[in-house]
Amino acid sequence: MIKKTFKIPDMTCSNCAMKLESLEDTLDGVKEINASYHRLEMVIEFDESKLTEEQIVAAVKKKGYQAVLV
Amino acid sequence: MSKQQNKPINPAIIVALGVMFLAIAFILLVVQPNTQSINLGADASTWSQLVVAFITGITTGGLSCLAVQGGLLASSLAHQIEQDYVEQAADKKQKQKTAVRTNSAFPIFLFLVAKLVAYTLLGALLGWLGSYLTLSPMTRAMLMIAIGIFMIGNALRMFNVHPIFRYFSIEPPKFITRYIRRTARGTDTATPLFLGALTVFIPCGVTQAMMATALGTGSVAMGAALMFAFILGTSPVFFIVAYLTTELGSRLEKFFMRFVAVVLLILGFVTLNGGLNVLGSPLSFENLTRSRLPAQSESTPVADSVPTDKIILYVKSDGYFPVTLKAPSDKAFTLNLVTNKTYSCARDFVIPALNYYQLLPDTGSVQVNVPAQKKGSTLFFTCSMGMYTGQIVFE
Repeated sequence: MIKKTFKIPDMTCSNCAMKLESLEDTLDGVKEINASYHRLEMVIEFDESKLTEEQIVAAVKKKGYQAVLV
Repeated sequence: MSKQQNKPINPAIIVALGVMFLAIAFILLVVQPNTQSINLGADASTWSQLVVAFITGITTGGLSCLAVQGGLLASSLAHQIEQDYVEQAADKKQKQKTAVRTNSAFPIFLFLVAKLVAYTLLGALLGWLGSYLTLSPMTRAMLMIAIGIFMIGNALRMFNVHPIFRYFSIEPPKFITRYIRRTARGTDTATPLFLGALTVFIPCGVTQAMMATALGTGSVAMGAALMFAFILGTSPVFFIVAYLTTELGSRLEKFFMRFVAVVLLILGFVTLNGGLNVLGSPLSFENLTRSRLPAQSESTPVADSVPTDKIILYVKSDGYFPVTLKAPSDKAFTLNLVTNKTYSCARDFVIPALNYYQLLPDTGSVQVNVPAQKKGSTLFFTCSMGMYTGQIVFE
């Protein structure tokens, strides 16, 4: 398991954070996601053998946001 | 250039919901007298009380509550619209042709249903608890000021003025969001429901008058029925105004975010100002303008026929008359508050500096003993929501 932080600059409300955290339910290999509208970031703990950073960025984009690895 | 394919609003939806609200009210009022399942001690006056509550709601209550509680509804819709807007933007980026339109009717409906349920429960509680739950004007003022600051902070957050304003957006604890997400599949449903229920903490003046009546019933069922009838009455007005406002906004697409922020900002200042009025602060808009522009204030000297130790203030549904009273300094006097079919929150009369608070009868008169005041001083008075104000200037 590895923990990575992504900046999500276009979050507009705390609902966006909840929406990003819903990736927990859909992305295979994710253990936990903590997104914060206050800090405009998302911390994701995942199994790197099952999931790549590119796949995370793509999944976030599908939700309507841009993700930049910190 | 892809044009948004928003269908025009079907007015039938609005009419259907309005009719539904009215039908429920009708059933409540007509069918229940014939049932003995709930003992309301139902006599003619009881039912006329419920009819009056409903009519008060549908006439003055709806707009009055919208002014006070509209911020919460706007916050609820703002979340919905923000989400829809992000989804629209995402769709456009991915060049999908499916257009997502904002659905403001559903969150408004949820908001109102939650409000109806919450107030009915509150009515039941009030009927049971008697006067224990009455908020003092001071507590209410502090609550209004806090809510006003919260609204203004949220508006500035939406304007993206400074990152610090992001902290005005409350992030619920993770375990709650996980629970909500997994049960409701998103917060669209939970947010307006939660906020609708929260309106019990910011009742408008007319609602407070109704709450006081519910307290006076001393019955769980009657308290609940009274609040139910009243809130049901406010719902169609609340729904139509809020729905038309938000649908108008959805056509403005991205500019609507700014529009919502402006509305929040205005409501925030109105709420904050109301709180300052209830506190008796000279810094409220009305008190500031009256003191800075005395020439423009409506000032009526005491009539010759009225003894100077007894001054009359007419409390009407649209405020206090005269707005500025003049009284002799260094001399105690009696302020005679006269009501005549007064049904607005003006009845909830407050003189903050004297810590005086009284729910006036809708018709009648109440005397207030005002102690001697120094020359040049001013006593501010207001309704309990800070909507109607006035002052006594000591000369």
